[in-house]
Amino acid sequence: METLLEIQNLSVSFDTPMGEVQAVQDVSLSLKAGEVLALVGESGCGKSVLCRSVMKLLPKTARLKSGRILLGGADITGYRERDMQRLRGKWFSMVLQDPMSALNPTIPIGKQIAEAVSVHNKKLPSGEVRRRAVELMDLVGIKQPEERYFLYPHHFSGGMRQRAVLAVALASGPRILFADEPTTSLDVTVQAQILDLLQEVQEKLGMAALLVSHDLSVVARIADRVAVMYAGKIVETGTAEEIFYDPRHPYTWALLRALPAFAKRGEPLFALPGTPPSLLSPPPGDAFACRNEYALAIDYEEAPPMFRITDTHFAASWLLDPRAPKILPPAGGEPLHV
Amino acid sequence: MSETLVEVRGLSHSFRLAKRLSIRALDAVSFTIRRGETFGLVGESGSGKSTLARCILNLCRPQSGEIFYRGINTCDRVQFRKNRELLQARRQMVFQDADASLNPRMRVESILTEPFVIRRIRPPRGSLRAEAAFWLHTVGMEAAYLDRYPPELSGGQRQRVAIARALAMEPELLVADEPVAALDVSIQAQIVNLFRQLQRQQGFTLLFIAHDLAMVNYLCDRTGVLCRGRLVELASTEELFSNPLHPYTQALLSAVPLPDPRRERARKAVAYEPGIEEDGVLAEAAPEHFVWRREADG
Repeated sequence: METLLEIQNLSVSFDTPMGEVQAVQDVSLSLKAGEVLALVGESGCGKSVLCRSVMKLLPKTARLKSGRILLGGADITGYRERDMQRLRGKWFSMVLQDPMSALNPTIPIGKQIAEAVSVHNKKLPSGEVRRRAVELMDLVGIKQPEERYFLYPHHFSGGMRQRAVLAVALASGPRILFADEPTTSLDVTVQAQILDLLQEVQEKLGMAALLVSHDLSVVARIADRVAVMYAGKIVETGTAEEIFYDPRHPYTWALLRALPAFAKRGEPLFALPGTPPSLLSPPPGDAFACRNEYALAIDYEEAPPMFRITDTHFAASWLLDPRAPKILPPAGGEPLHV
Repeated sequence: MSETLVEVRGLSHSFRLAKRLSIRALDAVSFTIRRGETFGLVGESGSGKSTLARCILNLCRPQSGEIFYRGINTCDRVQFRKNRELLQARRQMVFQDADASLNPRMRVESILTEPFVIRRIRPPRGSLRAEAAFWLHTVGMEAAYLDRYPPELSGGQRQRVAIARALAMEPELLVADEPVAALDVSIQAQIVNLFRQLQRQQGFTLLFIAHDLAMVNYLCDRTGVLCRGRLVELASTEELFSNPLHPYTQALLSAVPLPDPRRERARKAVAYEPGIEEDGVLAEAAPEHFVWRREADG
């Protein structure tokens, strides 16, 4: 299948008065047409920065230190704002976490969607724009779109707002959709609906999607592949099956073990000790070493390379070195509760 | 069976939105919370969970119905005034958004000692600062944080401070309204462990409100399900999750995401069409398992 987006050894830093914050370090990943890739990690691990650096929506203090971003084979690393304007919308759009701040509270929902349509299709007559906006509302499951065209965001519930935001994002017919924690502010039933909708739309339009989340159980349903990120680096990547049934990196184990679905009642939940390291001056060696109960001596001195497990499954952990002691993975497999 | 701590009887409340439009937030809700247990309350947003919590803590006055706390009718003004000290200090709340429930212009120390100042309680551990340091330590934070301001703390730390503030009054009843919903999964585990450990040490009763059913299943002894202001099912958590009777509970459970791709892809969400049974009663379908049914069936 055609590779739409390829990120090669990308590093992004922020220049702050305290020094350089290395938000993304040497990240490589690729996204094929029609595929859903989930990016999972704790807050502050660089997930959002990675998304935004592809779209070039970072603040001025950010600096693309090294690496390349290839979009459909073309190198867009050096693109300026004017070039990016042409790509945004046509190539990619983004759904943000908080639907309330993504919508303008003073403009009716339908008009906001219509605006997105006409921005990308300047020559479209207004009747056609309106028709297209109603179509989009229908696509994202807003029932009775004609009647709701003139309603304001505050008339809508959280789930409905998120549907409207999705309609805005889809207005330009993007080939890649970035969804940054799209369901975090929603409750369980609505979350399930929005995830199903995302998958349905993605399959119908043949889009690729990059889904960002901190919760592995959220991405299990719709992700084809999963990349786990820690302290600015990707520590494990593989197909959903590989990550959930055969995780290899201790951090992935920790993320899975923290889920109550894997815990026995009456036993404490597994909680990762400590906090993520400061990205201001990352420690030498593996950034995860000091929180890792399986850390080896070498973890404190040298960062592990990516070890290949299968053609699709890679993990950066010294435990995969042939010389490392064998450890029975404490996570992975079937959850206890259904 | 242990002693009843809170008894809610026929609680109803509606919010008036406009002249002729009002929303039923709670509709004849009755249940009891036993001393020492962890009671879970689940439901979609807008189902009345928070209104119920606020009514129990006298933060909101219900339109009808009664709430008894250790036999005291807290909705009765005379009785409330007579027992104000007990009712206010011994019942505490932790809110979802610690960002909004901690004053950003107060230091952690002042936040933690404010309850003592308000109640004019002499701190049992000598000085106010020692008291604040003690409670901060109880929730697993160092005394160095006493002089920080809430915006300088991470989300998990802020939630810990909020818990410490609630616990400083040594409450009998702690109401936690979505205390982990805004946190990362790994931090959620830390906070939930903290609740469990503190409950074992201090023996308070916990009313845990959440929409994350996996967490409720793990943490709570008994669970009630609210749907559009009505308590539709109430049972021990194990019973509720293994044998959900009400269609709304089944729909809720079918929406819980599982960290298991194969099962997740095969899963079909059960849709719930609200308004199936308008009038009914909470009937005991199995021992200790109550479900809302039409009266004709029961």
